[in-house]
Amino acid sequence: MAQLEPTALDLPLVAARRGINVGRIRVPGWLALLLRNRKSRTGLLIVAFMVVVALISPLISVAHPNDFNILATRQAPSWHHLFGTTDQGSDVFSQVVVGARRSLALGALAGALATVVAAVLGIAAAYVGGIVDEIVNLLTNVFLTIPAIPLLVVASGYLKTRGMWTMIAVIALVLWAFEARILRAQALTLKNRDFILAAKASGEPTWRVVFGELMPNMISRIAAAFVLVFYIALLVDSGLEFLGLGDQSATSWGVTIYWAQVNSTVLQGEWWPFMFPSLALGLTVLGLVLVLAGIDEVSNPRLRTERTERRSRLAALLGGKAFTR
Amino acid sequence: MRWFARRLVFYVFAIWVALTVNFLLPRLMPGSPIAGLLQHLSPAQLAANPGIVQTYEALLGGGHHSIWQDYVTYLHRIAHFNFGLSTSNYPTPVSEVIGRTLPYSIFLVGVAFILAFVIGTGIGMVAAWRRGGFTDSVVVPAFMTVSAFPAFVLALLGLYFLGLKAGWFPIQHAYDNDVIPAWSWTFVSSAFRHAQLPILAIIAAYTGGWVLNMRTVMVNTISEDYVGMAHAKGLHDRRVMTRYAGRNAILPPLNGFAAQFASAVGGLVFIEIVFSYPGVGYTLQSAVLGNDYPLAQGILVVLSVCVIVANLIMDVLNFVLDPRLRTA
Repeated sequence: MAQLEPTALDLPLVAARRGINVGRIRVPGWLALLLRNRKSRTGLLIVAFMVVVALISPLISVAHPNDFNILATRQAPSWHHLFGTTDQGSDVFSQVVVGARRSLALGALAGALATVVAAVLGIAAAYVGGIVDEIVNLLTNVFLTIPAIPLLVVASGYLKTRGMWTMIAVIALVLWAFEARILRAQALTLKNRDFILAAKASGEPTWRVVFGELMPNMISRIAAAFVLVFYIALLVDSGLEFLGLGDQSATSWGVTIYWAQVNSTVLQGEWWPFMFPSLALGLTVLGLVLVLAGIDEVSNPRLRTERTERRSRLAALLGGKAFTR
Repeated sequence: MRWFARRLVFYVFAIWVALTVNFLLPRLMPGSPIAGLLQHLSPAQLAANPGIVQTYEALLGGGHHSIWQDYVTYLHRIAHFNFGLSTSNYPTPVSEVIGRTLPYSIFLVGVAFILAFVIGTGIGMVAAWRRGGFTDSVVVPAFMTVSAFPAFVLALLGLYFLGLKAGWFPIQHAYDNDVIPAWSWTFVSSAFRHAQLPILAIIAAYTGGWVLNMRTVMVNTISEDYVGMAHAKGLHDRRVMTRYAGRNAILPPLNGFAAQFASAVGGLVFIEIVFSYPGVGYTLQSAVLGNDYPLAQGILVVLSVCVIVANLIMDVLNFVLDPRLRTA
């Protein structure tokens, strides 16, 4: 899967804890910081749009997404069928909006599960150090070396049922290593800070230092790592469904693309059954990538794109005040 | 040299874990593993392959012994490249099926992934050098958007627009139907034409990651003192970019190459399926869907080994490029 991995997740979002009031609504500090950045603002808007679509999908989908209608098969997009119909005459628009529910939920839950595993293992290992750290680090590197997709393909081939929770567990088990590596590295930089040493010196037990001191101070980084695994899980899950290794009776973006591929609609010149769910998937991933890129920029100002130069060039083109910056 | 020895030990360990996971997967599923495998098969499949029960028993290490005995037998067989017989290509050995399909995949992912790396780091370097310039504000977002799409979507888009609508590329298989695989000009040129579109799809899917990665590192490198020093010496701008900043900035992306390669091998599975390209990815999917477990397991082992070999090559390259590692 295409991966856009952030290199710097060291973000000072915790520092900006104080909220800002916009009119009557109080915006939490971290959100305000993200909304001020152009990339993460766009990303958050895209993701929020997809979530809203998923939530209100029963209201906007015209029919049951898998109802078939032999009289209306293979129709190009029109006002009646906004995204066209499939080979069975199902409405693609309904499949996409209803499918958003399962796709987003699966990605988010698998991401959340992987985050829990990675946070506990990675952070605890980094803090405890020694042989525990060596073992966790070794395990992480091994999981990063064995190609995830072929492993998932073979593993899901053995599964007797491919329900939602099974897929969540399998995907999380394979993906936790991506996060554990990042979180471990960051916990290593934190573990010798004064507040941790103070907690240790005052006789706090290890588990309390890890879960009471270290982890709360890494919450923003954990959140960023969650966004990363969220979209990887989204891609991986749709990919497995595309290969016919998901729950083929469910409605999700991957399943819709799978049927489009099985019925070789593309080769027959019907672009709509695969294009619309693909666009929804790509747009969501783009949104999440932009959120991550925004977080990166908030934390590392050097990464920001400088806009002033371009504006002045535009002004010069328009023949205006080119030299009055 | 100690660093290198440690890496080697790690790779041996990683291969061992891959083999063990492979061994445990069917056994972790509830119920008897052999019954679990056989229940996927239709009566017709059982009738067509008289040796199938024995094949599965052999695959699972005999079935009559303790799990430890099975495990030793299994490792012994794998060490001799004996993966059993492929049930969907009965009675062809798994190793023969893999040997026939692997070269196509290696060619595809090797060429495409190296191209993606070179193009991506190149663009990332230029974008960081002129932040806010054309490359930074137009090319980088464009690659980011394209890379947000999964590999199979990009492959389908390429298939539809470039292959079907524009007719620039052949859209299926690895070579023309009337050509026989051999080291002849007709075969090689035909194979090359058929590889173009899959390679383009992989490049589209993976370049964006390198662009972002390289840009981030390069932005940090540019503010180093030695880059300022190179400027102060009056060196040509391009020379400072490539020889001073670029050469140092490329090390972190290069270190990430191996992990990315593992994910590219995953993407390859999808791309091969979209183009019906007869590589290991395509074979893996049909093996899993057709319940050909010996073949699926064999491919997983071979792919893991491929990724590890790529890791090893990268380590050697790193050793050459980064003098600090040689003294460690």
